[in-house]
Amino acid sequence: MARQRAAAAGASSLVKHALFIASLLASALFSVAASAQGFSNSEILGVPAGIELESIRVRFTHFDQTGRGYQSQADRPNLHRPGSEDITIEQPQLEIVAKQGKATHRLSVPVDIITAASPDALDAVSTASRVNEAGNFQLDTRYQQDRRTAWLFHANFHLEEPFRSWTLGVGGAHAFAEDNTVFAWSLNQVVDWLDRFNIFGTRLGRGYRSTTNLNVSLTQLLSPTTVGYVGYSFTFQTGELGNTWNSIAVDMGNDKIELDGEKLPSVRHRHALVARLSQSLPWDGILKLSYRFYVDSWSLIGNTIEAQLYQRVGRHLYVRANYRFHHQTGVGFFTAIADVAAPLRTADSDLAPFVAHTVGGLIAVNLKAPRLRDLHLDFGYERYFRSNDLSVNIYTCAMGFLF
Amino acid sequence: MNLLKLLKVSILLLVTVASGCLVVPQNRRAKLADPLMAFDEDAQEAHKKSKFYSTREGAAGGDGAPAGGGCGCQ
Repeated sequence: MARQRAAAAGASSLVKHALFIASLLASALFSVAASAQGFSNSEILGVPAGIELESIRVRFTHFDQTGRGYQSQADRPNLHRPGSEDITIEQPQLEIVAKQGKATHRLSVPVDIITAASPDALDAVSTASRVNEAGNFQLDTRYQQDRRTAWLFHANFHLEEPFRSWTLGVGGAHAFAEDNTVFAWSLNQVVDWLDRFNIFGTRLGRGYRSTTNLNVSLTQLLSPTTVGYVGYSFTFQTGELGNTWNSIAVDMGNDKIELDGEKLPSVRHRHALVARLSQSLPWDGILKLSYRFYVDSWSLIGNTIEAQLYQRVGRHLYVRANYRFHHQTGVGFFTAIADVAAPLRTADSDLAPFVAHTVGGLIAVNLKAPRLRDLHLDFGYERYFRSNDLSVNIYTCAMGFLF
Repeated sequence: MNLLKLLKVSILLLVTVASGCLVVPQNRRAKLADPLMAFDEDAQEAHKKSKFYSTREGAAGGDGAPAGGGCGCQ
């Protein structure tokens, strides 16, 4: 019996060896046959996906801001009056979009060159450096798994004189109901490192900030001329949530007022709900409407309404007019002059209650050019102004090469 | 009462939209294919806008932007 089992095992082993040798021989024969017919590896396996350039865009924007805020020490006549928030920013941007098989990569490099009344803490007490530079390297990749499903990857690095920021994000989009509905989501994690200064410009070491952000949205075709969108965004922030050198006048008692730093909570929960509508108009125009409701754990409530009207003029030219209205209540601990015993305090004009308006326009042209699908040019102007003494003129122009 | 009605209509609309009951056939989507119909047609302009508002308005941002909330340091 044992001999029979041993014989059977030997036969099974022999069969396995025979099959292995046969498969090797078959593989070798196939390779010989393939080379005899002149097939290359790429002909057998397929051509590896190369990178195909889709577009290159450059944009230049100039921001010219004037105004006053209680957090600024620049050109402040006295502690009862706000300081200067005058600033100019030059913002060149480069964007390259390339396709690689099912993936589309978008590399963006925006740079900010800031000339301000007080761009950083050192300028709170001296004017040694009134120019600051900031740069971003951002890579977005969209992988189209199939006709209905796409995956999104996002990476960003931000570099600034006293500040570094890293972002990683992942997301997805899925179309269903015959592509009438698209559900999208994304999850982002941001880590910021910043140098901490006091209001006199003394460095106090390094601070950090963490931001975790979740977005979900639904885009729906509502009619042959209408698209709707609803989105919700939740953001959780913790760590150092200010720039650390914003100042505030503090009432010390006995009519004595001194300048000190702001005190902010170290945690912030932020919720934003957005509804948008894009409507094609019968006269070759498009109307886009948007409403955003915002609320956070600092008791700040915001309402934003935006309208954009596009009008095509001929085949190659279009113009855009836009208006944006924003109202916010301000954080619960905003004040121009704080009590010395207040646990939280800020005089930052950006956290104050105010109403803001943006009006603007843009003219764009898409021209045919040799070796290009389109040559895009646009010029735009916007004016931002708000009720607590801040206004910005924004001039922008762009050139895009679409291959 | 009006608020309750508005809430009910909103929920009904959301459920209708989410269930994909509204179907526009492929052959009637010519107008929708216009690139200008997209909500974010220009990534550079979207970045410019996002950064501008998130560093000037406490209620802006909250969408993954690094700082926001009045911190003009980025």
